[in-house]
Amino acid sequence: MSQHKNSLLLALLTLNTIYMVQADSLNPAPDMSSLFSTSLMSSFPEDLEISGYCKELLFFFKQRYVTFVDCLILAARPVKVCQNCSSSYSMLQDIYRNISDQVGPGNESCRDSLLSSDRLMVVYQLYSNLQDLWTSSNCESNLTNDTLNFLSTLNQTLTCFEKYQLGNHTELCKSCKKMYGDVNKLYGRMEKNDTMCIDLEDAMNMTRRLWSKNFNCSLPRDETVPVLAVSSFMLFLPVIFYLSSFLHSEQKKRKLIHRSLLDRYSIKAAGDGIFSVR
Amino acid sequence: MANITKKVSWSSRPDETGATGETTPLLNGSEQPRHSRQVELMSGEGAIFHIGRHGAGDLEEEMTTEEVKSEGRPKEIPHNEKLLSLKFESLDYDNIENQLFLDEERRMSYMGFRCLEISRWVICALIGFLTGLIACFIDIVVEQVAKVKYNVIKENIETFTEAGGLSISLILWAVLNCSFVIVGAILVAFFEPIAAGSGIPQIKCYLNGVKIPRVVRLKTLVVKVCGVICSVVGGLAVGKEGPMIHSGGVVAAGVSQGRSTSLKRDFKIFEYFRRDTEKRDFVSAGAAAGVSAAFGAPVGGVLFSLEEGASFWNQMLTWRIFFASMISTFTLNFVLSVYHKKPGELSNPGLINFGRFESDVGDFFTSIFHSSTVLQAELLLCLMSAVLFCRYVHRPCLQVMEATLVAAVTAAVSFTMIYFSNDCQPLAPDNTEVYQLQLFCADGEYNSMATAFFNTPEKSVTSLFHDQPGTYNPLTLGLFTLTYFFLACWTYGLAVSAGVFIPSLLIGAAWGRLCGILLFWCSTWADPGKYALIGAAAQLGGIVRMTLSLTVILVEATGNVTYGLPIMLVLMTSKIVGDYFQEGLYDIHIKLQSVPFLHWEAPATSHWLTAREVMSSPVTCLNKIEKVGTIVDILSNTSTNHNGFPVVVQVMEGDVVILCGLILRSQLIVLLKHKVFVELARSRLTQRKLLLKDFRDAYPRFPPIQSIHVSQDERECMMDLTEFMNPTPYTVPQETSLPRVFKLFRALGLRHLVVVDDENRVVGLVSRKDLARYHLGKHGLEELHLAQT
Repeated sequence: MSQHKNSLLLALLTLNTIYMVQADSLNPAPDMSSLFSTSLMSSFPEDLEISGYCKELLFFFKQRYVTFVDCLILAARPVKVCQNCSSSYSMLQDIYRNISDQVGPGNESCRDSLLSSDRLMVVYQLYSNLQDLWTSSNCESNLTNDTLNFLSTLNQTLTCFEKYQLGNHTELCKSCKKMYGDVNKLYGRMEKNDTMCIDLEDAMNMTRRLWSKNFNCSLPRDETVPVLAVSSFMLFLPVIFYLSSFLHSEQKKRKLIHRSLLDRYSIKAAGDGIFSVR
Repeated sequence: MANITKKVSWSSRPDETGATGETTPLLNGSEQPRHSRQVELMSGEGAIFHIGRHGAGDLEEEMTTEEVKSEGRPKEIPHNEKLLSLKFESLDYDNIENQLFLDEERRMSYMGFRCLEISRWVICALIGFLTGLIACFIDIVVEQVAKVKYNVIKENIETFTEAGGLSISLILWAVLNCSFVIVGAILVAFFEPIAAGSGIPQIKCYLNGVKIPRVVRLKTLVVKVCGVICSVVGGLAVGKEGPMIHSGGVVAAGVSQGRSTSLKRDFKIFEYFRRDTEKRDFVSAGAAAGVSAAFGAPVGGVLFSLEEGASFWNQMLTWRIFFASMISTFTLNFVLSVYHKKPGELSNPGLINFGRFESDVGDFFTSIFHSSTVLQAELLLCLMSAVLFCRYVHRPCLQVMEATLVAAVTAAVSFTMIYFSNDCQPLAPDNTEVYQLQLFCADGEYNSMATAFFNTPEKSVTSLFHDQPGTYNPLTLGLFTLTYFFLACWTYGLAVSAGVFIPSLLIGAAWGRLCGILLFWCSTWADPGKYALIGAAAQLGGIVRMTLSLTVILVEATGNVTYGLPIMLVLMTSKIVGDYFQEGLYDIHIKLQSVPFLHWEAPATSHWLTAREVMSSPVTCLNKIEKVGTIVDILSNTSTNHNGFPVVVQVMEGDVVILCGLILRSQLIVLLKHKVFVELARSRLTQRKLLLKDFRDAYPRFPPIQSIHVSQDERECMMDLTEFMNPTPYTVPQETSLPRVFKLFRALGLRHLVVVDDENRVVGLVSRKDLARYHLGKHGLEELHLAQT
């Protein structure tokens, strides 16, 4: 188990470093004129145009943005967002941080000119949309012992599914039950402890759907008779109770005290004298 | 002579006569023929005036007629709702302005009165605070214990779903339920039967001016709180909101007195408030605080007190009550926010939270028209509860058994419903507060019947209001409503302390949601959650028949004023439809208890009845200076339990005895206890003068006359009542109409009203029971029978 974990970590680390190196080597400035086609307007005075440095930043931003979105779309279904796109997201984050926080040569900041000089704030909006998406994917809460453990168990289960898929499903249910149960249990535990990243959630969901819907391995409802027997016994108890108490006890009697005025007066109305009654 | 006098004079007052003595029935039967109201003056100074329709001589003759005998014997009839019980007494809301009172008022400085006013406010704050704390306590305990219970059952079900043997889970569930309910039922049935039910009818009666024994005692509060916790955790179809109102009332009655008779502790504070009048004001504040804590609706609480409770009202009192309600809901909110570890967030104003609704009223007006289906349910409920109330189960052990059986059946029915339900819904993301059962659903889905049954009712209500459209399928909802409806009906009559608000909200919400879903199929814009709200409002309105206060409570609970009009229209409809068939549940309850309850108005067609016909006579009167022996005899006569005695004085000319005051039994008892006799005062010069404080100390549990020992010598002493009697009792002439008398009683909170003739001679006495007997039935004016219970 520990081998698996180590190798995965290693892989992730190498991936990251490679990207970093790439990012640093991408410094040289490309052709500017190709970026801004001047078909729409005449140029503005020098001081209102954005500087070359900022243009450069904007260009990098565009590149990385496209890379990230590419990656996201490809990893949309089945969800592998966290697994595939973490690195490109962190690169996007870097360049955005460059734009918003850091100053370039000659203490020049591109923050105002790129992010907030107009109503639309394209760069900011685009970035914040993706940021929201990323936050809701919960990818940051990754990589604990349990996660790796879970991944390996899940893989085993899926292999098991594949193995028996073609044959009889009851056999599959029987032989993969233990593995599936483990995954389920592990997942339940992780779910309770903290938030899950979307990859794992989706993987688990798919596995569950496979298990219950496709292979029909849900638990059968086979205890109808005992349940019915016990509950009808309980339902029968009050009948006995009420019947017996109806037979053995009597309703409370109230002693009546006689003093009816209306009776008297109804008789009065029938023609008697005012106070001679009955 | 004395012997005969005794026999005649107070066993022949039929309305309060115990009908235990042998002579009584005969007298009752024979009282009609002669209406010559003569005042007979028995000889001697210590005699009792017997003002009656016949003398002792007449009696002898009429006893012989067979017919009279058979008619007069107390008939035994089964208990029904058309009776008035004799065991209930009135409260003294009228201030007794006797000499002592005037003395005290004179001694009190201006500052003293200011302090009184301030201490009233302090008491209201205390009431609100303590009521809020009690609500917190109930809420937290219920939540914790329910969590343990449901988790145990859930784990058990999960293991047994896999391994087989679900019937064992069913038995476990039933046993857990039963054990909680047994505890609750034992507490109620054996220790304090008055704590059964929601307590709202009792508080209503109390505020109306009827003294319900033991209703505002500490013991009742304790039993009530524990009982509610047990029955809610025990999974019965009940809520914890109704009992809060009773609890608030008890807290108020306790705090305002500054002592506890049960605990035998006297804190020597708030002594001035030891009177029925003051206590009543505080109890209405307590009831308001209870409502406010239950629903997070302070204004609704005040209006509840106004509508259901207090018959006597003024503007300063309203303001104080509002203060108490505010304090109560704030306390609850604050403590719960600390408990939920989010101090300062203040998101739990009441025990039940309806949650937020967006203010999109469009659907509402359409949904009102569909809520008429909901109304049918409520009618049935009223009928059912009326039927179920007359039960054959009276003995405490049987009551406990009954409650246990209901708990078991509730568990069994719920389990069967969940077991056979095929309605599976995908798990929502963070729904950790609701207990979800998977059972036979696919993994990652849960049984939606279980969200309705396998939760405390409050949570079910909230999920019915707020879950996404499509969370429930119609069959589930229909079955749920039907079963829960019968369970709720059955549970209401049990001897457990529990409220009816939540079950009716739940039934209504399920009905409403069902309507919403059915409509959802035809058109896509209906939000079933709102239908659920409307349904809940209609159902609740149909059961309790409150109008103003319920509207405000619901508006406040949903936190959206925009919904006011739709809710109001729904409540109006449900009240109109409901009233056509049956009275509200609380009124039925009050009737079944045979309480002499005075409604807002006298029956409409009763102007032809005059005080002469309504009053009870003859009256036992006392002389201004009366012999102790006579007083003791009158008080200790078991066949009568008169509470007010007109005091008369003999005018010089001879036979004429005119009214000069009114004295209460409780006052007489205190006087006897302190031996305020004329002779003793003369011999012992140092004797302390009796103060109003002595009367207050004895309040509210005046000792019975049997516990006061009066020696043979003392019996010969005389007692001067001048200082202690109320010298200006309210009187009416004989020709006053019933509605007029009624208005006096209702507005002034009277207990006794003396009927006098032209010369100020006592002719009769009107008490609450004499008025409450007349009510408008299906065939015009009807008269209730008086009965012993």
